[in-house]
Amino acid sequence: MASLFQQSMPSTGPGYSFASAPTHHSSSGPRQHAFYPYTDNGGSTLGISGATFTILAGDTRSTSGYNINSRYAPKLFRIGGDGPENEGARIVLSVVGFAADGNALKERLDTMVKMYRYQHGKEISVHACAQRLSHILYGKRFFPYYVTAILGGLDDEGKGALYSYDPVGSYEREQCRAAGAASSLIMPFLDNQVNLKNQYDPASGEGLEKVMRVPEPLPQETVEQLVRDAFTSAVERHIEVGDGLQMMIITKEGVQETFTPLKKD
Amino acid sequence: MFIARSEYDRGINTFSPEGRLFQVEYSLEAIKLGSTAIGVSTSSGVVLGVEKRITSSLLETSSVEKIVEIDRHIGCAMSGLQADARSMIEHARVTSQSHEFHYNERLGVESCTQAICDLALRFGEGAEGEESIMSRPFGVALLIAGFDEEGPSLYHAEPSGTFYRYDAKAIGSGSEGAQAELQNEFHKSLTLDEAEVMVLKTLKQVMEEKLDSKNVQLASVTKEKGFRIYGDEEMEGVVGRLEGN
Repeated sequence: MASLFQQSMPSTGPGYSFASAPTHHSSSGPRQHAFYPYTDNGGSTLGISGATFTILAGDTRSTSGYNINSRYAPKLFRIGGDGPENEGARIVLSVVGFAADGNALKERLDTMVKMYRYQHGKEISVHACAQRLSHILYGKRFFPYYVTAILGGLDDEGKGALYSYDPVGSYEREQCRAAGAASSLIMPFLDNQVNLKNQYDPASGEGLEKVMRVPEPLPQETVEQLVRDAFTSAVERHIEVGDGLQMMIITKEGVQETFTPLKKD
Repeated sequence: MFIARSEYDRGINTFSPEGRLFQVEYSLEAIKLGSTAIGVSTSSGVVLGVEKRITSSLLETSSVEKIVEIDRHIGCAMSGLQADARSMIEHARVTSQSHEFHYNERLGVESCTQAICDLALRFGEGAEGEESIMSRPFGVALLIAGFDEEGPSLYHAEPSGTFYRYDAKAIGSGSEGAQAELQNEFHKSLTLDEAEVMVLKTLKQVMEEKLDSKNVQLASVTKEKGFRIYGDEEMEGVVGRLEGN
């Protein structure tokens, strides 16, 4: 899903910065000019939904090649709500990829969610917000927002709802999703711990008798610990992930935000 | 007449010194020439009923279309200039479809009514940047019935762009008598079947012709079936339930 753009960045991985953008012009050939509208700011995000809650998490490092732009650049945003801090919001958006596009996307969705409240006199549901976000992304089909978005909240029945997107708006509701630089490191861990992929009930016998383990919604403490473990591991193995872990837990009481330091190396 | 009105009724976007917009007020008069339409809201759904004026025995009665669908869960009855209603209903249908496309949910009945009323004052020369579509106010009033997450509701939208929610409302030529009748008869515990009969009974009182299953039309909006215009057989059934018919 997220592999759509991975090969085609102007850089070839870490080491790229604007200062070292392709400059080798031979005196004989024609001088070439180029405009690179995108940068990859690294980082990773993660979302898991439970029976009565949804947790979204992201590291707070912002990178540009081997450089660190900031050790605290949040990837999680409250959508809707009141005032400059969006108090009382019930929907959270996480964006990872190109930070400027992520911010622009957040601003647009937030504005639309607020307009929805004025026009229809009620709070937007995550379900409706998810569809809206998809259309915002697809609206820029030919100059996309260079981001992988995850939207979290509670559905009409109070159950955790999590929607994941590709950069051009294809989306689905899932139990869990990892996105960004370390998504290939975190997602297999979630497949094993949350979705219980390729695991059988040991008491169920052999061969065709084997019965798959059925994934069930996990309790909140378990999920929080999974998120922490996922990120501490990702920090060890991926240079673009680190500095701090921001988590937003959406329950019927509202959005609770936590911050835990991660390794800064 | 022009002397009495000091010619302030010519321009459609000019206030009279008393602060009135005569053209808008006249448009309200146009509705009073229209056939009667009635809406009654109950806890299980809303019933709409209209009188069809059959001006000729050669007229195909099914071509008189005064109740129309806006979406699966919203319908509307009209009184006044039929043709004016077309563009309002077109706008409501597009708004409703566009809402479902963008938000994957049904448009609320109040939001639908608001969308229709947003059109109402788009007449005259048009403000800067805003395209005006009409040279005069609409000459039609609508009763908008729907069922959304808040339950059933009935709205009345006027050419002036104002709208109100009603338990029961009558518009058109017989509206005064009909509204008084509804006031007496309406109560909160009405069933849908009782509301059907009540609408017909009220129409019968204000209609000049004798009511039969051909010169009235009923429709309802319920949670289960959504918006639905009653067919010939169903109409005969309800008319049959009317006493003295």
